[in-house]
Amino acid sequence: MDTLTLILLTTISPLACFIIAIIFLIQQPKAAQGLVLFGSAVSLLSAIGLLVQGPIEPLRFLWFQSGAIQLQFGFILDGSSLMFGVVVTFITACIMLYSVGYMAQDPGKTRYFAMLSFFAWSMLSFVYAVDLLQSFIFWELVGLSSFFLIGFWFEKPEAAAAARKAFLMTRVGDVGLFIGILLILQLVHSFDIPSLLDPQTGLSTQISPNLLNAIALLIFIGIMGKSAQFPLHTWLPDAMEGPTPVSALLHSATMVAAGVFLMIRLHPLFMAAQDTALIVLGIATFTAILASTIAMVDTDIKKVLAYSSISQLGFMLMALAAGSLFAGVFHLITHAFFKALLFLCSGIYIHAYHTNSMAEIGRSGGRRLKAATLGLIIGGAALSGVPPLAGFWSKEEIFAQLGHNGFNIYMAGAFLAAFLTAYYTFRMIFLITKPDQTPASDHSHPEPMNMKAPVLLLTLGAIILGFFGASIAEGLGLIPQHHSVILMIPTVGVVILGILIAYLDYGRDNAPRAGFISKIAPLNTLFTNKWYIDEVYRVTIVAITHALSRILHWIENHVLDGNYDRFGLGILRTGAKSTRVQGGWMQLYLGWAIILLAVVALYLGLR
Amino acid sequence: MPLLSSILLTPVITLIILLLMPQRAVRGIRLICALSGLLTCVLSLQLWTSYDPTTSGIQFEELIPWVAAIGISYHLGVDGFGVILVMLNSIVYFTGVLTMWDLEERVKEYFAFMVLLVIGVFGVFMSLDLFFFFFFYEIAVVPMYPLILIWGSGNRAYAGMKLMLFLLAGSALLFPGLLAIYHHAGLNTFDIIALSAHTFDPQFQIFVYPFIYVGFGVLAGLFPFHGWSPTGHVAAPSAVSMLHAGVLMKLGAFGILTVGIRLLPEGAAYWAPTFVVLAVIGIIYGAYVAMRQTDFKFVIGFSSVSHMGIVLLGLNLAVLGSVVAIDALNGAVFQMFAHGIMTALFFSTAGYIYDKSHSKTIGDFGGLGVQMPRAVSIFIVAGLCGAGLPGLASFWAELLVFLAALKTYPIAGVIVILGLVLTAVYIMRVFNLAFFGAPNPKWENLKAQDMSGLHLIPRAILIAVLVIFGFVPRLMLDLINSTTIAFLGNF
Repeated sequence: MDTLTLILLTTISPLACFIIAIIFLIQQPKAAQGLVLFGSAVSLLSAIGLLVQGPIEPLRFLWFQSGAIQLQFGFILDGSSLMFGVVVTFITACIMLYSVGYMAQDPGKTRYFAMLSFFAWSMLSFVYAVDLLQSFIFWELVGLSSFFLIGFWFEKPEAAAAARKAFLMTRVGDVGLFIGILLILQLVHSFDIPSLLDPQTGLSTQISPNLLNAIALLIFIGIMGKSAQFPLHTWLPDAMEGPTPVSALLHSATMVAAGVFLMIRLHPLFMAAQDTALIVLGIATFTAILASTIAMVDTDIKKVLAYSSISQLGFMLMALAAGSLFAGVFHLITHAFFKALLFLCSGIYIHAYHTNSMAEIGRSGGRRLKAATLGLIIGGAALSGVPPLAGFWSKEEIFAQLGHNGFNIYMAGAFLAAFLTAYYTFRMIFLITKPDQTPASDHSHPEPMNMKAPVLLLTLGAIILGFFGASIAEGLGLIPQHHSVILMIPTVGVVILGILIAYLDYGRDNAPRAGFISKIAPLNTLFTNKWYIDEVYRVTIVAITHALSRILHWIENHVLDGNYDRFGLGILRTGAKSTRVQGGWMQLYLGWAIILLAVVALYLGLR
Repeated sequence: MPLLSSILLTPVITLIILLLMPQRAVRGIRLICALSGLLTCVLSLQLWTSYDPTTSGIQFEELIPWVAAIGISYHLGVDGFGVILVMLNSIVYFTGVLTMWDLEERVKEYFAFMVLLVIGVFGVFMSLDLFFFFFFYEIAVVPMYPLILIWGSGNRAYAGMKLMLFLLAGSALLFPGLLAIYHHAGLNTFDIIALSAHTFDPQFQIFVYPFIYVGFGVLAGLFPFHGWSPTGHVAAPSAVSMLHAGVLMKLGAFGILTVGIRLLPEGAAYWAPTFVVLAVIGIIYGAYVAMRQTDFKFVIGFSSVSHMGIVLLGLNLAVLGSVVAIDALNGAVFQMFAHGIMTALFFSTAGYIYDKSHSKTIGDFGGLGVQMPRAVSIFIVAGLCGAGLPGLASFWAELLVFLAALKTYPIAGVIVILGLVLTAVYIMRVFNLAFFGAPNPKWENLKAQDMSGLHLIPRAILIAVLVIFGFVPRLMLDLINSTTIAFLGNF
C-alpha cells in the first residue's frame, strides 16, 4: 500500500470508529466495543506498515491562507514519529483489549470506547503532524479527550473535579505554548516543522538568541503543563479518578507523553536555545526528585504510580535538555511499556479487591493474582532500572549523557531520583507481595483472559525492549555512543541500595513497615502533604481569581448597572415630579397663571 | 428574480401569509416558518456558492431609485462579509424556528414578530443605502421589546425596557452621526458606495466616528454599554436569545464595519487605540463576571460580552494598518460567524433545559449529565467552542485576532490570550456544578424528557457547522480574504 493510504488508515480509522460509535451505537455497547477494537487493530497494522517502509519526506497539503499566513497540514514520517506511532497504537490496542474485561459491567461502555478511540486519533495526529499549528490543535484535543476520560465517571464529584483540574492546569501551560507558536508565526510566517528546524535556514538562524530562548521557554511552559512538570504537575495525581485503563493510557503513550514528544520534535530548537535548555534541565531534575519523594510515602497504588510517572517524565526531559535525543526517545518508549504494564496490573488488583491501598491489596491476597503480580514485579524492576530490563538501558543512557556533557550536579540529582525510584517501587512490590498478615479468605479471583493477555504482552516488552536501543538509535538516524562501563557501577549501585532499603523497611520478616523517612518528621510531613503545593495554589492563584471575579461582579451590579438603573429611575422620578405641575384642578392652574402674570409684570416693570 | 431580493422577500412573504392565517392553525404556522427558514438557508447556500471570491467588491447588486430628491434608493448588494452574515442569519432563523417548535402561547404573534426581526437583519446585511440600512436596523431592533415582554421569563418587563432604552440610546447617537455624514459629503445621496468614494475631512471623521462606533457598539455589547445584553438574553425566549445574541449583536459589529470604518477610515484609525483598550477590558471583564453568575443564561450573556470583545478588538486592530491588519479583520469577521452559531447553540440548549425543568439556576442542578445526556453533551460542545478549543470554528477566529493583537500591542495580546484560561474557568464551573457530580433526585423526571427526534435537528445542524468550519477554515477564509484585502485597501 502506498504511504498516504497507510497514514490515513493509521490516523483516520480511530476517528471513524469514534464518530460511528457515538452517533449510531450508543445503545449497542457490544457492537461499539467490537468496532473500536477493530479500528485500533487497523491503526496498529498500518502504523507497523509505515515503520517497515521507513522514513520518507513529509507529506503536505494546503490548509488555508489568510493574509501572509499559509498553513499546511500533513504528516511527518521520520524515525521518531514512525516509532512512536507504533508505540501509541500498540499500547492503545493493549489497553482497549484490557478494557473489554475491566469495563464489562459499565453502563457507559460505548462512550468509554468511543472516547478511547478519539484519544488515539488525536494523539496519533499529533505525533505525525508536520505543521506546528496542526500539532497544537491535536495537542489540545489530546487534552480534551483526557478531560472526558478522567471525568468518565462524572457523577463522582471527585472525578469531575479532577477532570476540571487537569483541563485548567494544562490549559495554563497551553497559553504559554500558544503565545510561543504565535510568536514563531509572526517572525517567520511559517509553521512547517522541518523548515523551522532546518540548521541553515531555520528559526534559530533568523532571530536573536534572546528571542529564541523566550520562544523555547514559552513552548516549554506548554510541555510543563502536559508532561506534568513542577509547578504544573498537581493535576496528574488527581487524574487517577478516571478508570484505571485510562490512567494506563494517559501515563504511557498519550497525554503526558505528548509533552515529551513535542520536545523531541523541536529538539534542535531547544539545543539552539541554550539558556532555556538549562532551565528545562533544572526543572526536570527538581521534578524528578520532588515526585519521587511524594511517591515514597503515598499509600495509594495509583498515586504512587502517578508520581513515578511525573518523576520519569522528568528523566526524559533531562535527557533531552542535556542534549541526547536518543536517550529521551528511548526512555519515552521503554517507560510507555512498563508504565502501562504497571497500571494495568494495579487495575487487576483494584478490579478484584475494590481498594487502591497497597497494604489492603497485600492483605487481601494480592499476590495470588499470578499475572498481575508477575507484571508488577517485572514492570517495577524495569521502572527501578534493574538490569537487564528495559528501564535499565534507557536510564543508563540518560546518566551517560548527563555525565558526558558535564552536568554533574544534575547527574547527582538524577542518581538521587533513581535511588528513590528503586526504593518506592520495591516498597510497593513488598507491600503487595509480603503483607503483614496472611490473607483472610482463600477464594481466588479469576483474571479474565482479555485482561491477562495485554499484561503478558507488555511484560514481554518490558523485558526485551532494552535490547533494541541500537535499532531505535538507528531509526532516529543516530549512531549510538559507546560509553564507559564505569558509569554502570553507580547506576546499578543506587538501584541495589534502593531495593535493599525497601527490603529492610518493608520486605524482610518482621520488618518495621514504616519508611526510613518517617524518622525525619519534618521531611515526612512535607512529603506526605505533597510539599503543600496545592495549598499554595489555593491561597494564591485560586484566591486571587475568586476575589477579582467578586470585585468585578460587584462593579457590574452596583457601579455600571446600578448607575444605569439610577439614571433611568432618576428620569422617571423627574417625570413624575414634573407632572405635578398639571395638577388637574382649577385653583392650581389659576395659581400658575397668576404667578406667570406676576413674573411678566415684574419683568416689564423692571425694564 | 434577483437572489438577494428573493432572500429578503422570503420572510416578508412569510410574514404576510402568517398574518392572513387563522390563530388556531398552529401547526400550519410552524410549518410555514420552518419552510421559509429552510428556503432562506437554501438560497443563502446558493449565494455562497455563486459568489465569486476571486473578484473583490460588491456582487449581486440591485439598484432601484426610490426618493430621488434626497438620494434614497433601494440598493442591495453583498461582499464576502455580507455573504457569510446572510448565511448566519438564515441558519439561526431556521434552527430558531425548530427550537421554538413546542411553543403554545400566541404562536402566530410570536412567529410574526420573529420573522419581522429576521427581515430587518437580512435587510441590514444587504443594504448599500444608508437610509435603508438604518431603516432595517430599527426593524430588527424594535420587535425585541414585545418578544421579551410577552414570551419572556423572569424579570421580563425590566429586561425588555432596559434593552429597548439602551438600543434606542444607541440609535440616538447613530442618527445624528449618519445625518452628519450625509450632509457633510454634500453628494445628495445615501448610497454607501458613493459615500465611500468621498474623502471626508479628517477633523470631521474624528468628530463623528465615536457616534457611529458607540451607537452601533451598544448593540455589539461594547463595554461599558453592555448591560442590556445579559439581562435581555436571560429574559428572552430561547429562539429570541438565539437571534439576539447570534445575529443581532453582529448587526452592531457589521454597522461599525460598513458605515464606521468604510466611510470614516481616518476617524477609525484615530480612535482605534482607545477602543482597543475598551475591547480588551470587555473580554477580560466579561469572563470574570461570567464566573460568578448563578443563572445559565447570564453566564452565556456575559460570555457573549467577552466574545464580542474579540470581534471589536479585531475590527480596531484592522484599521491600524499594520501587516497583520488582514488577519485581524479576517479573524473579526470569522468570529462574528462562529460566535453567532455557537451562541445560538448555547441558547437553544439552555432553553431546552429550561423548558423541561423551568429552572435556569446552575446550582439547582447537579449531575444533569446522567438525566439528560444528550442535551448536556450538546451544551458541552457549545461550551468547548466558547473556550476556543481547536476543531471548532471559534478557534480560528480567535487565533487570527490574537495573532494580530500580539503583533500590534503585545501586552494586550498576552492579556487576551490569558483570557482563554478565564473562559475555560467559567465554562468548567458550569459543567461541574450543573452537569457533573451526583445527580439531583429532584430532576429524575427529566430522564424521560431528554432531547430526541425533532429537537436534535437544529442542534445537530449548528454543531455540524461549528465542526465543519473548525476543520476546514478555508471555506470561510477563501471567501472573505479578497473582500478583506479590498476593504483594507483604503488604508
